[in-house]
Amino acid sequence: MKFISDYIVPIGPEGLHIVQTGKWRTRKPVMDKEACVRCGMCLMYCPVNSVKKLADGSFEICYDYCKGCGICAHECKKGAIKMVPVKEEE
Amino acid sequence: MNVIDKLAIYEDQISPGISACVGCNVELTLRTCMKVLGPDTIFAIPPGCMGGVGVVGWDKKSGAKTPVFFPLLDNVASMLAGIKLHYEHIGRHVNVVAFAGDGASVDAGMQCLSGAAERGDKLIYICYDNEGYMNTGYQRSGSTTKGAWTSTTPVINGKGGKKQNKKDFPMIMAMHDLPYMATMSPAYIPDMVRKLEKAMAVESGLVYLHVYNPCLTGWGCTSDESIEACRLSVETNFAPLYEVENGSFQMSVDVKNPKPVREFIRKFKKFRHLTDEDIDALQELTDRKIDRLRKLCTL
Repeated sequence: MKFISDYIVPIGPEGLHIVQTGKWRTRKPVMDKEACVRCGMCLMYCPVNSVKKLADGSFEICYDYCKGCGICAHECKKGAIKMVPVKEEE
Repeated sequence: MNVIDKLAIYEDQISPGISACVGCNVELTLRTCMKVLGPDTIFAIPPGCMGGVGVVGWDKKSGAKTPVFFPLLDNVASMLAGIKLHYEHIGRHVNVVAFAGDGASVDAGMQCLSGAAERGDKLIYICYDNEGYMNTGYQRSGSTTKGAWTSTTPVINGKGGKKQNKKDFPMIMAMHDLPYMATMSPAYIPDMVRKLEKAMAVESGLVYLHVYNPCLTGWGCTSDESIEACRLSVETNFAPLYEVENGSFQMSVDVKNPKPVREFIRKFKKFRHLTDEDIDALQELTDRKIDRLRKLCTL
């Protein structure tokens, strides 16, 4: 079998297996940046690693792979994240 | 550097989209562990939830950026021991890690794990304990709590559930006189990161890390409360956080005023049929275990 990648280890020859988990979402987290106190709880507890820390120290939710579980909204001490239902056309 | 910065900077070693259940706290555990362990890691995931969700790959694709193996349910530790020996032979330092479920550690894989612990193979063995074979349809395991509903211990007219008590597996591993053994919880991430860093520095033998992960789908709980459930398991002393370093026990999170176990039990559908007597029995067991653990800490 010809390997496409240069890895010597048994890693997939065609790269990463990625599931488009962003399509699963029935509700999405929306962050209120005014209320955010930058504690980072959302980044710490996000199971999909979808919260990013920006250079200015603030946090941003990336929706590419977010499954909409609601953990960030539940764990946010300040209630700065709200879960909003997603419409089908989005 | 604090934990948030570390987690923000470290590269995620797992594929960004894996098909774990919505809100799965094992996915959080896996990503956090692999972030801390870093790119110089070879790991193995036996059949189980994290194997099934695509971390071990699909067709010709891999589910992780580091080499990942898919061993059998019962030979994880033995296979990794061989890999570690090879890398020691060629003189390259790598973290050789197992990320196994409770079926592959507590039940089927116990003898090879116990053997590797006794031989002192330099592995990091992480067990995510979700109390059953959750990936194949919620069957009971040696780690399931007494009274719990599973698909092989059904509840009919309010009667049934598992008849036997849970194995106290972290304690069994601690009695192997490991250089380092710890229990972790995804609700206490800074504690988890500290323990993983400690585990990476151990050079003298096998490190066993036990993570208690309530399973949302199999236990019946909403995805929002995923972390809340993990936190309650520690706050009720149902799954206490402690570490054992060369035989000396230490509590990592010492809960001074524990909440009643009832609060944790009532969160899940799989315990819905339990009577007050059943819950009192679980409370008594929890109290007995935490007393024993506190006594071990004073030695």
